[in-house]
Amino acid sequence: MLVQQLVNGVSLGAIYAVFAIGFTLVFGVMNVLNLSQGAVFMWGAYVGLEVVRTLALPLPLAILAAATAAGLLGVLSEVLVFRPLQRRGAHRWMGMVGGLALARILIGLAQEIFGTQVVRYPDNALAGAALELLGARLQLLQIVAIGAALLMVIALAALLRYTNVGRAIRTVAFSENVARLVGVPVDRIRLMTFFVSGALAGGAGVLWSLLFQSVSPFMGDGILLKGLTVLILGGLGNIVGALVGGVLLGLVEVASVVVVGSGYRDAVGFGIVLLILLTRPTGLFATRETTRA
Amino acid sequence: MTDLFYAYHNVIDLCLLNSMLAFGCFILLGVNLFSLATGGLMAIGAYLSIWLTMQQGWSFAPALTAALVAASLAAFGLGSLVLRLRGDYFTMATLAFTEVVRIIALNWDSVTGGALGVFGIPQLTETWQLAGLLALVIYLIWAVRHSAVGERMRAIAADELAVSTAGHDVARFKLALFTASGAIAGLGGGLAAHLNMFIAPGDFGFLRSVDTVIAPVLGGVWNLAGPVIGASVLVVLPEALRFSAQMREILIGVTMLAVVLFLPAGLVGLPKLSRRRAAS
Repeated sequence: MLVQQLVNGVSLGAIYAVFAIGFTLVFGVMNVLNLSQGAVFMWGAYVGLEVVRTLALPLPLAILAAATAAGLLGVLSEVLVFRPLQRRGAHRWMGMVGGLALARILIGLAQEIFGTQVVRYPDNALAGAALELLGARLQLLQIVAIGAALLMVIALAALLRYTNVGRAIRTVAFSENVARLVGVPVDRIRLMTFFVSGALAGGAGVLWSLLFQSVSPFMGDGILLKGLTVLILGGLGNIVGALVGGVLLGLVEVASVVVVGSGYRDAVGFGIVLLILLTRPTGLFATRETTRA
Repeated sequence: MTDLFYAYHNVIDLCLLNSMLAFGCFILLGVNLFSLATGGLMAIGAYLSIWLTMQQGWSFAPALTAALVAASLAAFGLGSLVLRLRGDYFTMATLAFTEVVRIIALNWDSVTGGALGVFGIPQLTETWQLAGLLALVIYLIWAVRHSAVGERMRAIAADELAVSTAGHDVARFKLALFTASGAIAGLGGGLAAHLNMFIAPGDFGFLRSVDTVIAPVLGGVWNLAGPVIGASVLVVLPEALRFSAQMREILIGVTMLAVVLFLPAGLVGLPKLSRRRAAS
């Protein structure tokens, strides 16, 4: 029973983490909150679904296609919204409103193209499969979700740590001016960052809709709020914080269903957010550099 | 004919109500505070006022007053805790507040009717009351803006650090504004509840807060006409586009995006812009 709950929590948390890492990456590098991320997540889920259903391609390819498409949407949000606003030196909240506007357009388009009803991924070998571990029945899907999430996080970590693009991204995150001085093509790096961020959201979208068997144009709002929660838990712009915070939120939600009932599950997350903001605004895992609040 | 009148009537009521709510965010945007607490504060006003009118037999005016006071107190409490947070952190804390209130409303069945909501609320809100109260709110904000306090508001918007260095207590000032915005939200919540005859927790969540704060941005943050124009556009545009729910979402999104990108001063800046075009 405990093992089962643990796996439930970790698989949920792993998806939160992947989504939130994309979110926090853009914040860390560009210092903007991209509120269209939830809609990008939803589009990722639909693209994955279409690839599986219409093209009948295997799941890993669907995740790859969804991540690529969602990454391009991320790029779109930079080109269409955030770059022009930054050039103009607009207020921070203009970026938030711009992101929300883009989300609305994306949700409307999804309704137009895919319809408003809730759909699900076609049955596959994964869906029903389960395995026994320490007396608990675990869905194979959960293990796959955890594995895929882990893979994405490792890929991102490797990208940031060992590649030139990664080094450039970290330089821009440190300071845009410094990056310009040492010859980093800042605009291109920003685009790359938005691509990676969108791709993570898209991948998370496929995993989420596999795990919960539902895809709808409105699935982005919920995850957006979860992403914001994880962002605060881990500290804005803190990637490791988002990873740990995501898994933590998943575990807390599963535990809170047991302790306070499913009705108050979401309140626990937001309650923790308020508590953290009031006591440790830079997140649970603040380093000495993250003193923005 | 009567059908047409009623449809029209509802639109006007909604324009007036949402304009008033938008002013609650307007005064905060004026000092660079992007608050998403509106939904939560409205919920407090709405649920308290219907409990008073439906269960306790209060008449409308005292119930509205109670809603206003309760939401102001809540805003005062919340503000004294979260106003020291800066920028996005403040926004996030206000969002968390709204969501916590919504979830409590969702689960507190005996008072709020849970997810099903409360039916059969007496329809006590009249168009003239909405118009009168909106006029009062606009007059008060106008008067404040044209006083020494308004001067300080603009100074804080321009350079907060300079104002506090000059010896003014910026924190207390912001708290006063946040409390005032809570009063508007609470009043609006009470009016909204007695306008629709039905409320559910979903009416007061993230989306409500977002729509309310978007209205002044859309209309114009530096002009008193801004919130009215923005809120009215957000009410009328969906009505005009009734034929297609999807096109509605897309067109509202495009309008919002166009304003954010091309009209930093909001829709009120439109005539000036076109005049300048014509002149050059």
